[in-house]
Amino acid sequence: MDVVTMLKGMTDPMGIPFYPIAFEVLGVLTFALHILLVNVSLGAVALAVYGRLKGGARWERLSGAMAKAGTAAVSGAIVVGVAPLLFVQVLYDPFWYASNVLSAAWVIGFVFVMMLGYGSLYVFYFGKTKSSSAWGVLSFSCFLLAGAIMHVLNYQMLLPERWAGWYEKLGGAVVSGTTLHAFSLPRFLHFIVPSFAVGGVFLLLYSWYFAARPDFDADYLGWTARLGARLAFWATAAEALVGVWWLVAIPKDLHFTSDPVFLLAAALGVVLLALLWRLSRDPRPQRLALHAAGGVFAVVLAMAAAREVLRRLYVGRFGYTVREHPVHLDLGSTALFLGTFVLGVSVLSWLLAVAFQSGRVAGAWEAGPRMRAWGKLSLGLLAAWIVLVAGFGVFVTLRNGGF
Amino acid sequence: MYPIWEVPHLTAGMVIGLIATFHILPSHLSTGAMWLNVWFERKAYQENRPELLDFVKRYSKLLLIFAYVFGSLSGVGIWFATTVAAPRAISGLIHNYVWGWAAEWCFFMIEVAGIYVYVYTFDKVDRKTHLNIGWVFAFASWTTMIIIVGILTFMLTPGVWPQTGKFFDGFFNQTYWPQLLMRTSAMFAIAGAWAVLVASRLKDERARASVVRTASLWGLGGLALAGVFLLWYRAVLPPPAQADLAALLRPGLKTGLIVPPALTALYFAFLGARPRAASFWPGLLAIVMIFAGIFSFERTRELIRKPYVIPGYMFSNQIIGNDLPAKGISSELPKINAEGILKFDPFVPPELREVTDANRLRAGRMIALIECSSCHSLETGGIRPLPVFIKRLGAASPDDVSTVIDSLGAMPFMPGFSGTDAEKKALAAYLASIAK
Repeated sequence: MDVVTMLKGMTDPMGIPFYPIAFEVLGVLTFALHILLVNVSLGAVALAVYGRLKGGARWERLSGAMAKAGTAAVSGAIVVGVAPLLFVQVLYDPFWYASNVLSAAWVIGFVFVMMLGYGSLYVFYFGKTKSSSAWGVLSFSCFLLAGAIMHVLNYQMLLPERWAGWYEKLGGAVVSGTTLHAFSLPRFLHFIVPSFAVGGVFLLLYSWYFAARPDFDADYLGWTARLGARLAFWATAAEALVGVWWLVAIPKDLHFTSDPVFLLAAALGVVLLALLWRLSRDPRPQRLALHAAGGVFAVVLAMAAAREVLRRLYVGRFGYTVREHPVHLDLGSTALFLGTFVLGVSVLSWLLAVAFQSGRVAGAWEAGPRMRAWGKLSLGLLAAWIVLVAGFGVFVTLRNGGF
Repeated sequence: MYPIWEVPHLTAGMVIGLIATFHILPSHLSTGAMWLNVWFERKAYQENRPELLDFVKRYSKLLLIFAYVFGSLSGVGIWFATTVAAPRAISGLIHNYVWGWAAEWCFFMIEVAGIYVYVYTFDKVDRKTHLNIGWVFAFASWTTMIIIVGILTFMLTPGVWPQTGKFFDGFFNQTYWPQLLMRTSAMFAIAGAWAVLVASRLKDERARASVVRTASLWGLGGLALAGVFLLWYRAVLPPPAQADLAALLRPGLKTGLIVPPALTALYFAFLGARPRAASFWPGLLAIVMIFAGIFSFERTRELIRKPYVIPGYMFSNQIIGNDLPAKGISSELPKINAEGILKFDPFVPPELREVTDANRLRAGRMIALIECSSCHSLETGGIRPLPVFIKRLGAASPDDVSTVIDSLGAMPFMPGFSGTDAEKKALAAYLASIAK
């Protein structure tokens, strides 16, 4: 059976409840946030482990802060990662599922590797001693392995012409799922190396944020900012080289390098590199921490869009497009998501605003009237959501035959 | 169709079951714990009892680490296990319920941010704001249950969805309300059991007694209500599920549904009367008991879905067995029966697509992998082992096995065989060979 026919037969016949562009846009946006948090996690954990091993007052202090930030960032990376994983399964189901089943044992292994890595990170964080650094190293290694598995799954999905070869063996099929079949080192590094750049920018933000706190030593904050700026610049420079290496490895017939989205992402990358170069020579780089963070976000978002373009090109070789699924418009559930999304952004913003404002003062923090009202509104919105959905549920239940 | 992942002895389906059962402990802790937590936090402020805050802090740390390390990852684990064990089933669910999951994700985001902000802003933000954070978390966490129960119950009772194809027609189905209320009650029982465990480590005797008494009462109330809603749930099960229940609910599973929750209820009642008797190991045993009860329930829930994974649509071996006019989908059975499963599945190696004398056993094994292995072990040991079943039925020759295969459709919990006559004979020959 040829690959085009195979893919047509594999595509889920259920259809999708809204136009594919919505899932694609949400997929790109949430992937950008996810990979940023992955990079913050890896960068923070690496700095925390290095700091604890190196020792000295400043490094130890930084190490503690980064370990704490790392635990939160990993949680964030996991939860945000759910969304792009959902949307890839909506639009690229044949590719994603085939790739996963072919390495099924690793897919399950991913979960346990992450548990081990995350559990170890907490042991490292609570350990506080130099000897517990091994837990940090274990944690970082687990996260790298998890990243490698995720890379393989995302790479294998782009190679449907090779699936049959991976599955067949003499006289039968390979059904153990214990093999990782395809690995692209430059592509993997392209996702991992930025962790150090993002970690550097995170240090800039750290320095900028705590500058408002009188109980934070200005020398310490200045040191972290300069360290962050240098790290961000050199890691971004290394990332540019890795990026070129990866570009060379991408099949030429996809013509990815002439795609406008890629060109925009690359141009933004160069601008960011220039900004970080400037910051790396600035004695007080934390002044421009928000610029650097904004720059990183813009580049990652553009790269995530370019990644989607590349995926389209890969699957397009076999006539597959994101418009493959029939659209059965379901406005009810679309409205449910949109309403929940707006509510989610509002409530989440309140929580983050509380965290942001309270962390910026030494000692206790008292919410002002606006923050208090926003908090009540958040709770009200959640209660309203429950009442509305339950009420609608009762209506649907009664309409369809009762309880 | 997709490649097959075979898990010897255990079966791929059981991998989902094990991860899913484990997930209930942290996930129901997450949805239930904060209600108990903010209740105690409020009490501590109102009655000026700072010793209670010691419990609140410990309990929320347990929540943070257990629920948001092992809970969130095992939640992802269920999804991943389903992805590799039943890709067509999860794909069908996702394509139908993507907006439901996306909405649930919004609440996940609030939960994760909420628990960190809650834990890290103790004594940092004013009390009212801190309680507000706790309430926000409690509400957001429970809403994730409101959503996921719609999808879970859809997999057993899709309501009028097969006719309309509409999201909410499948979501608010006949088992939705009893299961939502049952899980809501159970989450308080689980939260209560964890709270007893945490409180048993408290140094302050008064705080310990106070927390244990309240947590036990919450636990007892939760278990009692869960029992009532379980009966309601059972009463509204559709006839095929009732038939499955009668045929498949083995004594062990039945005992598991009744005895562990009953013992836990007794333990809660005892602690309600003598809260100072709470200690760590019995507390941990209570959680193990709850785990056994949940495992039994979740296994039963899986069993009574058979022969479907999505009723009226897809069989548990992921073959689409019914037309779904609302979505323009036709049953795959006519095509598979005419052409053969080995030709229908694009991943079958070319040399096995046609059954021959030379490849009969290997082709038979391929068919068993495609149609049977998600639920049945192909080894002599393990979960629902086919060699043992075949032997037990006294089917010694391929012809005998062929007769058994013919009768599958008459069993309420088994999908019928799909494929050509030659394929059926190949499957029979293979099954007879492994049953020797």
